[in-house]
Amino acid sequence: MKVTAAMSVAALALAGCGTSTDKTPAAGGSTTTAASGMKIGMAYDVGGRGDQSFNDAAAAGLDKAKAELGIVPKEATAVNGEPESAREERLLQLIDAGYKSVIAVGFAYAPSVKKVAAANPDVKFALIDSTDATGANIENLTFAENEGSFLVGAAAALKSKTGNIGFIGGVNVDLIKKFEAGYVMGAKTVNPAIKVQVKYLTQPPDFSGFGDPAKGKIAAAGMYQQGADVVYAAAGGSGGGVFQAAAAAGKMAIGVDSDQALTAPADVKSVIITSMIKKVDVATFDFIKAMTEGKFTAGNKVYDLKAGGVGYSTTGGQMDDIKAKLDAYKQQIIDGKIVVPTKP
Amino acid sequence: MKATLDLRRVGLALVAPVLAILVAFVVTSTVLLLAGDPVVEVWTQLLTAPRPRLVVAIINGASVYYLSAIAVAIGFRMNLFNIGVDGQYRIAAFAAAVFAGQGWLPGPLNIIVSLLIAVVVGAAWAGIAGWLKVTRGVSEVISTIMLNAIATGLVSFLLFRVADSTAGSNVTNTKTIPTSSQVPGFALVPGTPNKVYGFVLLAALVGIAYWVILNKTRFGYDLRATGRSETAAVASGVNVKRMVLTAMLLSGAAAGLVGMPLLFGQDYSYGTTFQPGLGFAGIAIALLGRNHPVGIAFGALLWSYLEQQSNGLQITVGVSSELVFIIQGVIVLAVVIAYEVVRRAGLRMEQRKVARQLSDQPGSPTPEGVTV
Amino acid sequence: MAPAVELQGITKRFPGVVANRDVTFSVQRGTVHAIVGENGAGKSTLMKILYGVIRADEGTVKVDGQPLALHSPSDAIDAGIGMVFQHFMLADNLTVLENVVLGAEKRHGIADRARAEIERISADYGLNVHADDLVADLGVGIRQRVEILKVLYRGAKILILDEPTAVLVPQEVDELFDNLRELKSEGLTVIFISHKLDEVLSVADSITVIRRGTTVATVDPKSVTSRQLAELMVGSELPSASTDASTVTDRPLLAITGLTLAGAGVRDVLHDITLTIHAGEVLGVAGVEGNGQAELVEAIMGMREPTAGRILLADQDISDWHTREIREAGVGYIPEDRHRHALLLDAPLWENTMLGHQTESPNVKGIWVDAAGAKAGAERILAEYDVRTPSIYVTANSLSGGNQQKLIIGREMSYTPRVLVAAHPTRGVDVGAQAAIWDHIRRARREGLAVLLISADLDELIGLSDTIRVILRGQLSDEFDPDVVTAQDLGAAMTGADQREPGTVADDPGTRHTKAGHGTQGEEEGQ
Repeated sequence: MKVTAAMSVAALALAGCGTSTDKTPAAGGSTTTAASGMKIGMAYDVGGRGDQSFNDAAAAGLDKAKAELGIVPKEATAVNGEPESAREERLLQLIDAGYKSVIAVGFAYAPSVKKVAAANPDVKFALIDSTDATGANIENLTFAENEGSFLVGAAAALKSKTGNIGFIGGVNVDLIKKFEAGYVMGAKTVNPAIKVQVKYLTQPPDFSGFGDPAKGKIAAAGMYQQGADVVYAAAGGSGGGVFQAAAAAGKMAIGVDSDQALTAPADVKSVIITSMIKKVDVATFDFIKAMTEGKFTAGNKVYDLKAGGVGYSTTGGQMDDIKAKLDAYKQQIIDGKIVVPTKP
Repeated sequence: MKATLDLRRVGLALVAPVLAILVAFVVTSTVLLLAGDPVVEVWTQLLTAPRPRLVVAIINGASVYYLSAIAVAIGFRMNLFNIGVDGQYRIAAFAAAVFAGQGWLPGPLNIIVSLLIAVVVGAAWAGIAGWLKVTRGVSEVISTIMLNAIATGLVSFLLFRVADSTAGSNVTNTKTIPTSSQVPGFALVPGTPNKVYGFVLLAALVGIAYWVILNKTRFGYDLRATGRSETAAVASGVNVKRMVLTAMLLSGAAAGLVGMPLLFGQDYSYGTTFQPGLGFAGIAIALLGRNHPVGIAFGALLWSYLEQQSNGLQITVGVSSELVFIIQGVIVLAVVIAYEVVRRAGLRMEQRKVARQLSDQPGSPTPEGVTV
Repeated sequence: MAPAVELQGITKRFPGVVANRDVTFSVQRGTVHAIVGENGAGKSTLMKILYGVIRADEGTVKVDGQPLALHSPSDAIDAGIGMVFQHFMLADNLTVLENVVLGAEKRHGIADRARAEIERISADYGLNVHADDLVADLGVGIRQRVEILKVLYRGAKILILDEPTAVLVPQEVDELFDNLRELKSEGLTVIFISHKLDEVLSVADSITVIRRGTTVATVDPKSVTSRQLAELMVGSELPSASTDASTVTDRPLLAITGLTLAGAGVRDVLHDITLTIHAGEVLGVAGVEGNGQAELVEAIMGMREPTAGRILLADQDISDWHTREIREAGVGYIPEDRHRHALLLDAPLWENTMLGHQTESPNVKGIWVDAAGAKAGAERILAEYDVRTPSIYVTANSLSGGNQQKLIIGREMSYTPRVLVAAHPTRGVDVGAQAAIWDHIRRARREGLAVLLISADLDELIGLSDTIRVILRGQLSDEFDPDVVTAQDLGAAMTGADQREPGTVADDPGTRHTKAGHGTQGEEEGQ
């Protein structure tokens, strides 16, 4: 089993914050030129840099920090099926090598960060996508994927003519269920009678659902045949297959993590009406920037709609007619008038 | 005569792995050279004595691999390819975790019953494949692969039913095992606070039981005979069908224990991040260790050692962690080939030796075999 | 004129053994030249050298006076040498034509030209083979002629036949010899490998004897007897299969009634087999291979579930017993294929001497293997049955065939058997081991065992048995008396050619095969 070990859970993001039309939070576009030479350690999940997804998004934030802040990065990647101790060892070796600020990418690192952070109080950690490890020297960077998904769910319902839409999750884990919860609620808020087909491609510990376009294509084709006309692909690399199925059926699809209408092949670009954007790169960059400024804050930093950490893209102009309605929902969420659940 | 022959056999047994490691060394170095990576630094890093905490991690990792490889080896010894150790250990660990997490029984009793549950569940899951083979002639390779997939689906389905996850967490876990039922580790390695799993002992016990059952019992003789020649075993009165079923059950029972050091010594629950892929590593390690309990121990340590080195390679030398996969893969491939080469060489040596000793015997001019 | 084939000083060494040493002989064109020697004497190696399968370390091969360097069988074929192997290499589901042209498509194409060529060869040499017959439908004799035709089709002028009569019944042997004479008269040269001396004497023009890897003599068949020839082969006086006075009692030990084993098709593999073997009796079963012998043995040993019928061991019904129970009850078993059914080739000898008796003393104590007891037992068996080995720790693989077989017989005789089931006990062993094995079977008989002896060697059957039955298409014939029956009679019964009343064939005692009245040998054992 190509257990893409745990983690690719994250697998959901493609790089690309700059493409968003939303405002970036905090000092995203800062031009600070603190040629700090600060040493930043980065522990990726399985796949690492070059996975075209979640890890790459974090890498993009790191690259930006290197270019703009002059930090000295050191990267290490998880190995398939490795034991827990290997993750701990990775963090420890980064610390041993003098990297006193360490970013752990993916919730699989939670137990190791918890342990290693406790033993190394002088080292500062950023843990992406998890609040399972907390401490005075841990900053948890999480995203309100449910809120972003609410908006694209609403968009799907507004665009659907058949009253039937679909959701494809890569792997059946809690993180992706957050996407589902927001998407379903968004759609039902617009049209209480709408039918939402839900399908997860694989079950853990089989994480291939985040990287198997063929599985995505089959699942999406099935949904389109059963009457769906918009399908949301919360499935990392498998989304490519969903877009192909949409193009073949002449229907619509929604991308995830980055603005996929920009990065997808030309022949499927037109079917991607919008994408739910999750700004892992921004979160990474923010953390590094704070570190260079000596402003570490422990605790959970939630990148939600309010903070601009999630959102929807408008590339292609297919959102133009409903943008006003979506922005109204967005405001209601920011104002707390709509509370989006995290579990379906 | 026995002593010299045995020495020779031990020597032969060592030649193959040494040869394989040498081949792996050459191939890996070539890959590094072609990729423009620093060869000397890589080997320096790989061959430097590991830090104490890494030694602990290596032993811990090896204990889990050892159990997995023993489970695979039980099948191998009678030509059964239990590819399903992966599914068996996961479903067994899940069942044991669910039970142990309830804390219905006091400390050690809870552990013992949980272990029994793991053994029974692992055996039952493997038994399905054994039963299909015996009654329907389904190849165990096919059925165990299928059962792996089914185990995956079943466990994740059930996991969500019994999950005990905290809000906002992205990890789904069974209930944490009560502290009284967690197995303490041994501070075996000085210079680090990290402890070796208490269940290292379990792995050792399983290894000893494996050796005793296989080499010292009638059942073990029958099992080895079946593995060496099924036709001869049948003619000798072995009920091969029952043997297939029993061997699958035993293999599954051992597979059921694979996750136990992790469950009781580290994770204390079964969840989406429980270490995957142990069954497949077990196959490679069983091959590496030539199904011998001591050989497997060395294989498991080597495997674990290489794996733990991947961080050092990335962080200290800056070489991709996939290099470790290359080394592991080449070693297994080379070992399989080397064993066959050495086996043939050994047979030729033995035949020559027999021929030579017989021709040295007095009175040998009569045609071979004539009664005098 | 130069000889068709001339071998000079051929030597071939394998690790630890010299397979051929200074082999020298020549074969005249247009003759049948026999190579005889006991199993393991080096005949096969020699023929493989001549056919280019393996290369000699020293020596020269000349064909028609020209030295040849043979690197592969295709070199040999180019030089006009063809080989007919003992085991046929024919695809059952193809026609004769397809089998013949396979791999020789360039010669005469694959269609009409090839068909015409096949018919021509068949007619010229009297092979009576038809191009469009399906091989699956053909009998053993015809298949062999197809193999010969295959070789001729490829232009061979020199044919090597490796033990061609091993698979044939006597009538088919005669036909084959007629074919060989035909080939000879057409100017072809035949090299004929055999260890059946009567056959060699009847067909060969010249005989070369090989012993222990080297040529000891080339003789004229008209001037030697088969006994002299055999002594040349063995290098010492010859043993023969024969028994002394009858030891048959009236106490039945193995009684089979109405044993039937349904086959996959319409015909039963075994049909209504009924036989009784008494204490001290050897019952021989003759038959062409594949007529149910193997199934009969496996049914007795509990390895096959009979469809109907009963098997009684003394007065116990063992029909439903498992193999292990049957063996524990005292049925010794010498399987037909010792490598597949009687040995663990990779295991040490002491583990082999307990195989089949791994539940019996001294090999086990309760659930534990008693290694010390088993090793002591192994030492005793190996010594008593003269298994030549440096120790009980070497693997079975490192023993010669004869020693392996002696080990098996020793093992099966060592656990107080009441019945001994022996299938082809001397197949593929050298003459020396054969004599020893015959002694052991005689001893078993003397000690009051009931012995079921299945063999393809009719002389062995006639020599050792108290009663002979012939098995044909899963059915047993009536009894033959070995004192009066001839190999010809048995051959006829084996092919179903005789429809006369069996058991009344004592018409021509003059043609009896070697049944020299040797006294018993082998008093040297003893427990």
